[in-house]
Amino acid sequence: MTEASFQRTAVGNVRLHVLPTDRFKTYAVALYIGSPLREDRVTRNALAPFVLRRGTKTYPTTQLFREKQADLYGAGFGFDVYKRGDYQLVQFQLDIVDDKYVSESDSLLRQGLHFLGEAVTKPALENGHFLDRYVQDEKETVRKRLEAIVNDKIRYAAERCMEEMCKHEPYRLHPLGKIADLASLTSDELYNNYIEWLKESPMDLYIVGNTTLDEVKAYVEEAFAFPERASSPDYVRAIPTKKEGSVNTVVEKLDVSQGKLNMGLRCDVTYADDRYPAALMYNGILGAFPHSKLFLNVREKASLAYYAASRYDGHKGILTIQSGIEVANYEQACAIIQEQLEEMRAGKISETELTQTRAMITNQLREGNDSAFDRIAFDFNTVLSGKKRTPEEIAEAITRVTTDEIRQFAETVQLDTIYFLRDRKED
Amino acid sequence: MEPIQIDRLQEKLYREVLPNGLTVYVLPKPGFSKTYATFTTDFGSIDNHFRLAGGEDIRVPDGIAHFLEHKMFEEPEGDIFATFASHGASANAFTGFERTAYLFSATDHVYDNLKTLIDFVQNPYFTDQNVEKEKGIIGQEIKMYEDNPDWRSYFGLISAMYQEHPVRIDIAGTVETISHIDKETLYSCYHTFYHPSNMLLFVVGGIEPEKVLELVRTNQAAKTFPPQGPIERLQPKEPAAVGQKQLIVHLPVSMPKMYFGFKEPSGVPVGEELVRRELAVKVMLDTLIGSSTSIYQTLYEEHLISDSFGHEYNIAPDYAFSIIGGDTPDPDRLLARVRELIEPVLTAGVAEADFERTRRKRIGSYLRMLNSPEAIANEFTRIRFAGGDLFELLPLYESLTLDEINSLLREHFDWSRLAVCIVRGEDQ
Repeated sequence: MTEASFQRTAVGNVRLHVLPTDRFKTYAVALYIGSPLREDRVTRNALAPFVLRRGTKTYPTTQLFREKQADLYGAGFGFDVYKRGDYQLVQFQLDIVDDKYVSESDSLLRQGLHFLGEAVTKPALENGHFLDRYVQDEKETVRKRLEAIVNDKIRYAAERCMEEMCKHEPYRLHPLGKIADLASLTSDELYNNYIEWLKESPMDLYIVGNTTLDEVKAYVEEAFAFPERASSPDYVRAIPTKKEGSVNTVVEKLDVSQGKLNMGLRCDVTYADDRYPAALMYNGILGAFPHSKLFLNVREKASLAYYAASRYDGHKGILTIQSGIEVANYEQACAIIQEQLEEMRAGKISETELTQTRAMITNQLREGNDSAFDRIAFDFNTVLSGKKRTPEEIAEAITRVTTDEIRQFAETVQLDTIYFLRDRKED
Repeated sequence: MEPIQIDRLQEKLYREVLPNGLTVYVLPKPGFSKTYATFTTDFGSIDNHFRLAGGEDIRVPDGIAHFLEHKMFEEPEGDIFATFASHGASANAFTGFERTAYLFSATDHVYDNLKTLIDFVQNPYFTDQNVEKEKGIIGQEIKMYEDNPDWRSYFGLISAMYQEHPVRIDIAGTVETISHIDKETLYSCYHTFYHPSNMLLFVVGGIEPEKVLELVRTNQAAKTFPPQGPIERLQPKEPAAVGQKQLIVHLPVSMPKMYFGFKEPSGVPVGEELVRRELAVKVMLDTLIGSSTSIYQTLYEEHLISDSFGHEYNIAPDYAFSIIGGDTPDPDRLLARVRELIEPVLTAGVAEADFERTRRKRIGSYLRMLNSPEAIANEFTRIRFAGGDLFELLPLYESLTLDEINSLLREHFDWSRLAVCIVRGEDQ
């Protein structure tokens, strides 16, 4: 399915992954910096990219920095902070046009990497730490973002469900950290944390586009000024948490017109496990597609919802189910969803469900080949899990998964938490 | 089949108009695993009052285009998603102000999937029972949007600006308006707007153009469509003034959300001129208040805006408006500051360097967009329906002038045509 694979080397203990291809009109660049989710570090790490995007040594004001970004044909520069398994990941990303479509004398890839290198490793400083003004602004920005989670009720319900389910694990933490920790953080503390973070964290830099490993290596060496890194740390896999006790039901009331029903389930299979393809099939048959059991039974047959779906987080070993329903239909929706889980446990899976789900998963895997950033994200799963998989291998494994293997996997799936967000009216 | 060579973008586009009026475009993307196809009708939420040449006036309930989109997926033998799934295709659809698009993406059985797409969209199957059942599902879709502050402020602003034009109604309608939809009204819309001459098929990906076209030709030749004259869309006369200067919506939010915008006089240009105006106004707005401008930075540093602050511009032959804003702790103060900061620029004009930088930025995002088969098909169709050509935007960008931008700036920021919508909690 793929025409080439990633070529790899390292620069200063930062892993470099390059995929040379002329299929895209841009160069896609992604830098992953990971750190274990920890109460005392999560907020500080999350703040780092926010402060970094305010200014660099060469472009000390935010406006100069953004003007430079615009000058580079609007390089798509951005960052994201999220969780994968028990890690907090900060991902910087850059999407910059291939010179051949515009008239530009200096290589845009080179200029783009210099821009990213500046942003990540050469921040604007005063008195040996970040600028107080930038730190104050960005603490405010992160606080507003954390407070704004409640505005999007679908996301809020999903995050509350995870928070309840994982209340005794690091996974309960929000990737942006805690509002309570923001106020007291100083520029000095943040800067020291940032240096530690750059020294100790696993780091992976990906480039996909019309280039070569040697060219990229040379640019990265001149563009990035990482502090001395003693080693190139790997990600450590966590063992999935087992479900203990009975199902935890949480009901929360807010001024909403639609109820949000979320469920969190645990399983003991993660990305590196041999049963991973069976887990993918389970999720596909249960709720990942419009032909899946949840969509058919909650939406099409009972007409209870517009969306009813499941998701499988292979790095954490968690399945989630989400649906938006009329508050009064809570019991009925719960019952229908639980019936579907029961069917999965009983191995009540038709040949058609198997074929359709296989075809859909295979298609998803192949489609990823057409997007540079999807190629990067897929490859990064290998770095994160320690298990080398290619889309072709997973697709091939999917064709061999039997109903019995899916049923065996279903037996390990335990409903842990039911979270229901409803209106304030009484029943 | 006419191949159109687009040298600067290294693309080759194939086009054919079939005898029944259907326009087909094929863009091969060598090396791509995926094929993405959209089958789009020039029928959206604003088309609620119309007449076929020689026929009578038809007025339909709000939200019917979207309702029809939902119902098309049902076939006598069941849900069409199952057929797509058997061939590993992920299918979907969406309804906008002006069009309804059906689509799939697939890496295998591409020609089977293409046939499924065309056949299901050309085979309506509505029953009293399946229409009633859909009301529960769409009712939940409407309720989902009711809880969404972004959606509420966006549509709140449009409904404040427009007094008569149906762009002011919610695309999905309301629980009340969709209660009046029955299979007869659905068929009536279907037969008017789903005629091949009102539709466009776009196929992009790792496909052979001649094979795609041959499949479509054969498929269409086997079906009969009665000849159809032009559709007359009966739009009400929209007054020049905004309907409501300020609209407040109460929803529980962590911080107020404010969108404001300017309603342009109706009777704006059509065809290529419309597309040029769209590009030019977008460049103008970005040069003035985009994220790399001094106004944006000033507002950000005054903590009046967050990263959510943005702008957009919508233009069609009978409406055109901007939408600007995002989360803010103090909507009144933000609006006052925006006005203070913009006024001097209205007099002096934007600087040449800022304009050039923005032009480069927009050219960059245009080229980035062309990496995505989905974006190509959707944008191509949208611009084609407006009378322009997605693949001709590069020379258009290059031909924009500073004078043009500055004159649009002065024309657009007419404070008498300003409307504001604020979403806030009861206690904010």
